[in-house]
Amino acid sequence: MESDEDDFVFFGTPIEREEDTISRKKKSIAEASGQLRTLAPWKQEVRDEEGRRRFHGAFSGGFSAGYFNTVGSKEGWTPQTFTSSRKKRAEFKQQDLSHFLDDDEKAELEGNSLGTSMQFDTFGFTAAEIARKQSEKEQNERPSAIPGPAPDELVVPATDPIGVRLMLKMGWRRGRSVKSSKSTHYDARREARKAFLAFAGPEDAEVEDAMETAAELPTDDIIQFQKSTPVYVLNPKQDMHGLGYDPFKGAPEFRDNKRSHLPGNRESGHKRLLPKKDGLFSFKPTNVAPGFGIGALEELDAEDEDVYASGYDFEAFVEEAEEPSRLAIEDKKKSSSKEHGVLPGFKAASNSDYQLERFHPPVVPKDFVPHPKFPATLEVNQKLTEVPPSEVPPPVDNNLKVLIEGVATLVARCGPLFEELSREKNQSNPLFDFLSGGDGNDYYKRKLWEARQKHGDKTKPLLNEKIAPNAQKMTPNAQKMTAETRGNILGEKPLNRTAKDLKSVVPATDNVNLQFHLSDTFTEPASFVEPTEIAKPFQHDPAKQERFEQYLKEKYRGGLRTIDAGGSSKMSEAARARERLEFEAAAEARTQGKWGKESKLSSQQILGASAGLGLQFTSGGSEINGVSQTEEVIKKSLFPKREEFQWRPAPILCKRFDLIDPYMGKPPPPPRSRSKLDSLIFMPDYVKAATEEKNTVSNNISLPQVDAKRRTNVMDAEDVEVETVEVENVERPVDLYKAIFSDDSDDEEENINTNQQEDPTKKIEAANTTLSRLMAGDFLESLGKELGLEVPPDQPYKPPQATQKPPTVQDNPQNLEPINSAAPNIQSTKEFDHEIMKKETKVRRDKSSSDDEKSRRRSKRDYDSSSDSSDGYRDRHSSSRHKGRKKEHRKHSKHRHHESSSRSRHSADKEYRDSKREKRKRRD
Amino acid sequence: MEAGTMSAEELPKTEANVLKGHEGAVLTARFNGEGNYCLSGGKDRTIRLWNPHRGIHIKTYKSHGREVRDVHVTSDNSKICSCGGDRQVFYWDVSTGRVIRKFRGHDSEVNAVKFNEYSSVVVSAGYDRSLRAWDCRSHSTEPIQIIDTFLDSVMSVCLTKTEIIAGSVDGTVRTFDIRMGRELSDDLGQPVNCISLSNDGNCVLASCLDSTLRLLDRTTGELLQEYKGHTCKSFKMDCCLTNNDAHVVGGSEDGHLFFWDLVDACVVSSFRAHSSVVTSVSYHPKDNCMITASVDGSVRVWKA
Repeated sequence: MESDEDDFVFFGTPIEREEDTISRKKKSIAEASGQLRTLAPWKQEVRDEEGRRRFHGAFSGGFSAGYFNTVGSKEGWTPQTFTSSRKKRAEFKQQDLSHFLDDDEKAELEGNSLGTSMQFDTFGFTAAEIARKQSEKEQNERPSAIPGPAPDELVVPATDPIGVRLMLKMGWRRGRSVKSSKSTHYDARREARKAFLAFAGPEDAEVEDAMETAAELPTDDIIQFQKSTPVYVLNPKQDMHGLGYDPFKGAPEFRDNKRSHLPGNRESGHKRLLPKKDGLFSFKPTNVAPGFGIGALEELDAEDEDVYASGYDFEAFVEEAEEPSRLAIEDKKKSSSKEHGVLPGFKAASNSDYQLERFHPPVVPKDFVPHPKFPATLEVNQKLTEVPPSEVPPPVDNNLKVLIEGVATLVARCGPLFEELSREKNQSNPLFDFLSGGDGNDYYKRKLWEARQKHGDKTKPLLNEKIAPNAQKMTPNAQKMTAETRGNILGEKPLNRTAKDLKSVVPATDNVNLQFHLSDTFTEPASFVEPTEIAKPFQHDPAKQERFEQYLKEKYRGGLRTIDAGGSSKMSEAARARERLEFEAAAEARTQGKWGKESKLSSQQILGASAGLGLQFTSGGSEINGVSQTEEVIKKSLFPKREEFQWRPAPILCKRFDLIDPYMGKPPPPPRSRSKLDSLIFMPDYVKAATEEKNTVSNNISLPQVDAKRRTNVMDAEDVEVETVEVENVERPVDLYKAIFSDDSDDEEENINTNQQEDPTKKIEAANTTLSRLMAGDFLESLGKELGLEVPPDQPYKPPQATQKPPTVQDNPQNLEPINSAAPNIQSTKEFDHEIMKKETKVRRDKSSSDDEKSRRRSKRDYDSSSDSSDGYRDRHSSSRHKGRKKEHRKHSKHRHHESSSRSRHSADKEYRDSKREKRKRRD
Repeated sequence: MEAGTMSAEELPKTEANVLKGHEGAVLTARFNGEGNYCLSGGKDRTIRLWNPHRGIHIKTYKSHGREVRDVHVTSDNSKICSCGGDRQVFYWDVSTGRVIRKFRGHDSEVNAVKFNEYSSVVVSAGYDRSLRAWDCRSHSTEPIQIIDTFLDSVMSVCLTKTEIIAGSVDGTVRTFDIRMGRELSDDLGQPVNCISLSNDGNCVLASCLDSTLRLLDRTTGELLQEYKGHTCKSFKMDCCLTNNDAHVVGGSEDGHLFFWDLVDACVVSSFRAHSSVVTSVSYHPKDNCMITASVDGSVRVWKA
């Protein structure tokens, strides 16, 4: 039958003959009723009510038992009537072990619990059993941590049943096992017999004793057998071990303990009464047979132990040794930790010399401010408590005033050492008289005090508030730890300035910032000789200058930059970024501007130097005055900036504007390859494409393909720029191709013309070939390069503005590097200027990118929200949007790449530059 | 460019009429081609047609779902196009006051709208960084051209016979030359708020958000002059040249109106025209007359 079914193909549902089903059913019923039950479970087959087999081998269908192809229920897909869970709450079911057990397991459990002990009813175990069951039931009812029936040992009836009492009367001793093994049964019987004898005999007292406690009994008992009947010690489970887990398994000292688990249960109850200390001492490795040992590297595991311990007759020995009962051990465990670590054979010292010394943590003063204090500032702090010197009018001489202030600042920063140093150095200098108590000394002291206040301001704000609340006002922007203090900590040598130097510099300018020299000595010895003008590009803003110095320091030192390195925490992220760029630029200016030492010796020379600076930098003057001005100048020189792109108006637009479509009759712009990857993927086809499509290429030739390739190069570089130039031209000169394929150049000429006329009709074809042309174009370009041919520029017209700017890279802000990239080492100062420009623009854009989306959303909201109010038409978005240009652009450009295949602006700026250069050449 | 001969005294500085009717801010006010009527649109979602010279409100066009940001009327005064916050460009019939067509397609608010010379195309500038050209003649709902080279919201658009000029917040003024098929991008470095063509068509005046008006030479892209003194930092505010190109007119966020000399860039005159931001200025094509719209809800007519 089965084989038949295999051979034939059936359509439809076969009508089952009644007999078949009936017979099958019968069979299944028969099987269910018992035939199969006799078989081992793994031999049985799963069949449904109809007698069909439901479990197949993995190769013949796998598991299909249960409600096959249903939702797993008898009802299948039949929807159940909804019962409101509100009215009828789901019953909360208490789960217990039985819910998780198979029938087999349950049966096993059942068998375990009963066993053969029922046979020995004589001794009243039934009652115990009942009690036990009772307790078990109780336990089932109130759920415990350990579900399921409690092990026998743990459950003992609270009150002795009458049977037990009788038994006890009769001489039965508690703890005598009846059920565990044949021998014990036998022993028990003997015991019972003895008990009967005892009843008869005059040993009543003894029996009484035995009844009361089992402790003394065994020792004076003549019959020494089976003392280890389990005493149902009510060991509350206090540890976290699993049931039956032997924590002493790894510890041979406690190995004996394991014995207590063994069915033999040889321990007698009295042992638990042994004093603990005895137990400790009795731990001699009796268990591991004497004379037999295990290697040092071997682990003592159950096997070893069993072999040595159980096989030999240690009984007497063991008993003499008085093994500790489990309780003893556990008691011991519970007991103080002193005993815990004691090895067997050792006794824990009652008094030890060693005492753990404990120190109390130091008491933190109430007004403690958790700021690290460093030697220099510490000093300052100490001095802060001094009485501030009285306010003294500054000296008449302005130069002197500046000098005093400068020195005071330095001394405050560098410590009194500097003061001494400068005093020494300038002994002969009348200008420095104030150091040694001469003219202006009072003012100096006052200034020094102020400077120290300022300096220590940040580290001890609380103190300052107490002492000099006005000191805080003076330095709102004070940094936490200046480079100078850091240098101090590191033990760097403070300023080692010559008198000559000071003399020449100080009178020269009012706003000389002497600190800078100091920081210079820290950073780079070479820079010390630099003119101050260059070194201090941010004179107008001392705070900024300070930050700049720090920046320099960190730049030259390397290492991790502190978070607030870029500026004070008050600055916004954008401002910080901008400042960093300024710093970078200025730092470059510093490294570039290496003048001789002599240049700063006199003020005239300095002026000369700055003039030279002006010569060298196109906008050097503003550089000195501050970058903000430079920015202005740059902006003026940079904007407006004209760029030219190809733009393809829609034919209908031209029509509506009543203009002739400039692109009429020209094929649609070729699709751009989207990424470098694309072109790379097509690489292997280049050659083939070029050869095969030679004609196509040379016919509607265009180098835009070349553009595409170049463009892909640039696409990697962030094209931050507003637009990339695409002067893709369909009517590109074909010189290159002529040069290469000069054979059929005449034909080509014709072809070009005809092709262009045909093209409108051939648009689809052209579109199809554009991709291959693209490849071919790339190939041709590379070929042209190899041959040393210049690819003709593609500028159909001359943008009038294009040549105004030098064709440097810096010209096109498209090439802006990511902001984090290292500042390029630019040689020419002109380029440097451009660099600054670049960075300005970059900064502006970067600044904007951050809050673009947010502001955009906000602006929209503004619109919505303000639409009702007569508050005003606040075109927020116009202002906020311009902040997010860079981001926008990126998004946008992507967008463009993917979607607007019709636009013809996808040339790289590189090409743009090329073309510009070309044009210049032509013009020249 | 011919230098204006009009002296500062002839500037329209006296208030001739106040056109009141808009509830809430007036965002745009435009003369029609001849200068005998004007249209205004505002936050009350209406477009109003006025006779500014007589101070009469003629008609109200209601259909916009959001504020009206810009409005333009055809040269034959038959159609109006308008745009605003509802992302659509409305094409109205002036006499019936009905919407003939709504051009949908902008992804976001539409900032400016203009008819071309033949009133056949509406070019709209949107916050979605695009310019869209809509065909008024066909019934297609799709824009006939989308220019999305802008990097940011396009704020203003001007049309010549052959070109589309638009200013964007990305700082560029872009000229799309249809005849040449090219795009000229003049990057001003500052977000461009509004652009306005000089009457001779050689220059374009761009109002930047750094409170500066910039005059560009259209052929070379050269910056001819900068006009400062007003505040324009966060509002979309119009600027324009007088009809003889002698002066530059612009509003300020403090409600002042500024007149600069075109060549000298000096503030010829400035006075408080409105109590709040001057959103829109429109100069009469022939007379010494101008209208200003303000957030204060009024449209004022100024005459010399």
